[in-house]
Amino acid sequence: MKGGLGARIKLMLPWLALAALLLAPALGLGANLIRLLFITFVWVTTSLAWNLLGGFAGQVSFGFAVFYGLGAYTAALLIDAGISPYLSFFAAGAVAALGSFLVGLPTFRLRGPYFAIATIGVSEAVRVIADNLAITGGASGFRIVEKVPFRQLEHYYTALGLAALAVAVSLLIEHSKFGLGLVAIRHDEDAAADVGVNPYTYKLWAHAVAGALTGMAGGVFARYAAFIHPHGVFAFHTSVYILLMPVIGGIGTVLGAVLGGVIFGVVEEQLVAGFPQIHLLLYGSLLIFIILVEPDGIVGLFGRLWRRFSKEHVDTDVTGPRPDEILRGTGGA
Amino acid sequence: MTWADFLNLLIAALLLGGIYAVMSVGMTVIYGVMKIVNLAHAGFMMLGAYFAFELYQRFHIAPIAGALLAFPAFFLVGTVVYWTLVRWLPKSTQPTLASLLLMFGLWLVLQNIGYLVWGNTDRSILSPMTFSVIHVGPISISTLRLVVFVAAVACVGILELTLERTWFGRSVRALIQNPYAGKIVGVDEERTSRLTFGLGIAFAGLAGALLATLYSFDPDFGRPFLLRAFVIIVLGGLESVSGVALGAMVLALVETFSILLVPASYQTAISFTLLVVVLIVLPGGVASLLARKRRLA
Repeated sequence: MKGGLGARIKLMLPWLALAALLLAPALGLGANLIRLLFITFVWVTTSLAWNLLGGFAGQVSFGFAVFYGLGAYTAALLIDAGISPYLSFFAAGAVAALGSFLVGLPTFRLRGPYFAIATIGVSEAVRVIADNLAITGGASGFRIVEKVPFRQLEHYYTALGLAALAVAVSLLIEHSKFGLGLVAIRHDEDAAADVGVNPYTYKLWAHAVAGALTGMAGGVFARYAAFIHPHGVFAFHTSVYILLMPVIGGIGTVLGAVLGGVIFGVVEEQLVAGFPQIHLLLYGSLLIFIILVEPDGIVGLFGRLWRRFSKEHVDTDVTGPRPDEILRGTGGA
Repeated sequence: MTWADFLNLLIAALLLGGIYAVMSVGMTVIYGVMKIVNLAHAGFMMLGAYFAFELYQRFHIAPIAGALLAFPAFFLVGTVVYWTLVRWLPKSTQPTLASLLLMFGLWLVLQNIGYLVWGNTDRSILSPMTFSVIHVGPISISTLRLVVFVAAVACVGILELTLERTWFGRSVRALIQNPYAGKIVGVDEERTSRLTFGLGIAFAGLAGALLATLYSFDPDFGRPFLLRAFVIIVLGGLESVSGVALGAMVLALVETFSILLVPASYQTAISFTLLVVVLIVLPGGVASLLARKRRLA
């Protein structure tokens, strides 16, 4: 690591952000702002999770709502049965990870677009099943009855803890042999296999970790919302949101996934709620714009501005691999 | 089950297969030449459905004629989309993340346009032909489905002939087989890609309009069919028209006869299960199985 000012700021940034968010409620934020932050933490978690598979390993999934929904329903059923919520969150993660193997075992056998399209199929199939399943209340949804008073701050800290966990896991993976293997797979599967990285098992494990984090996020959300239904948590648009966030922020980077989640959380809750009739148009155009104009997302945009205005030419690699080859390159999806 | 029931189901499956084929060939040619998985196919199918709907409502053009009119109209739309968006994508010999996400974004935009223009109520096209049925002994065939089948098979047949007999078709096949060799012998990749993309979208519009005569539709119309189309092209081995026809028949047969065993609400799950089975058992699709047999013989 170089000792430039930018590099030092970047190293301290996560700790500063965590400290600020831990202290924030003490400043007397309104209930609405706490709710906004809570939702944003949940989204950031799913964004980071998607980025593990989609960003690091380059495997686009349109089906993360499956894990989100599985986690939400698992936690909902367990909490409703009187089991400790925190235990339930871990169970939610475990069930979602199990689900990820069911999806991944057949679809990762092949390369190319198979996995991406199969994930659309999985989410459709799972939603149809959830619609018809009696134990979850079918299409009419499931209400969670928890016999404790509602404490918003507890939810806030749970979500913050989960988001922090997701950041920690992402950073650990990014700097591990496992993470390098994933990036190698994204660059070239054959070459990765030649140097001893088994693309199949690497993808499966990345998928499982991502699924577990997304499932836990779903569980945390379900406990807060206290009411879930298949057309919310299992809906296709949930998958779309989870995919959009890291792409907006900067696919393949931890910072990008976090930024994407934060921006999406705020925009979705504050702005788009006012224009529900054009939100697909908005997200679709944004996606097209990012792909064709700024494939590195917001991180790429800031990086470009930073390089232009700073004279010290900081090594931008401190936050990990640059994302620029992911959407520009010609590697496989 | 009596023989008559069996025959009825078989004919229903066959007729369904024709529509499935027309809906999948568009995706196949685009995938073959450009290695783009066109997720926006679903969006163009939806627009095709509304195209036939509007023509029928406003100008009283028969839905089948409307579907045939959709073909040139959507060809134009496809070339415009190619020219404005698709040609800026990085070129590649395998599907890229960027192309997948670009087409996905386009699909979202198209869907939203559908919601803005037509709202989210279900629409359907009811023509005099909708309820007419032909009886042959114990067998009854919906006239409309028969007409749609004939139109679908004719269009796929014409496509196959075009690919076999014309210079454009030869260029398309060359780019599918080996883009580098194709370019060396003088295939204009840019022009062929543009025409192919137009052709693929034209088939999406046509398929959407044909399906609209049989099913009700809303702006989210194409999604269940997108998965089916993908199952079909995987079954067919991804890059050939005859493979697609075969894949379409297999899916139609499985779907039709599975009604006997599985509740109809689980239909989407069936195509997914079939996809998984095919991926595990025959990764090259049914067509590769036939090709292997031929090579062995």
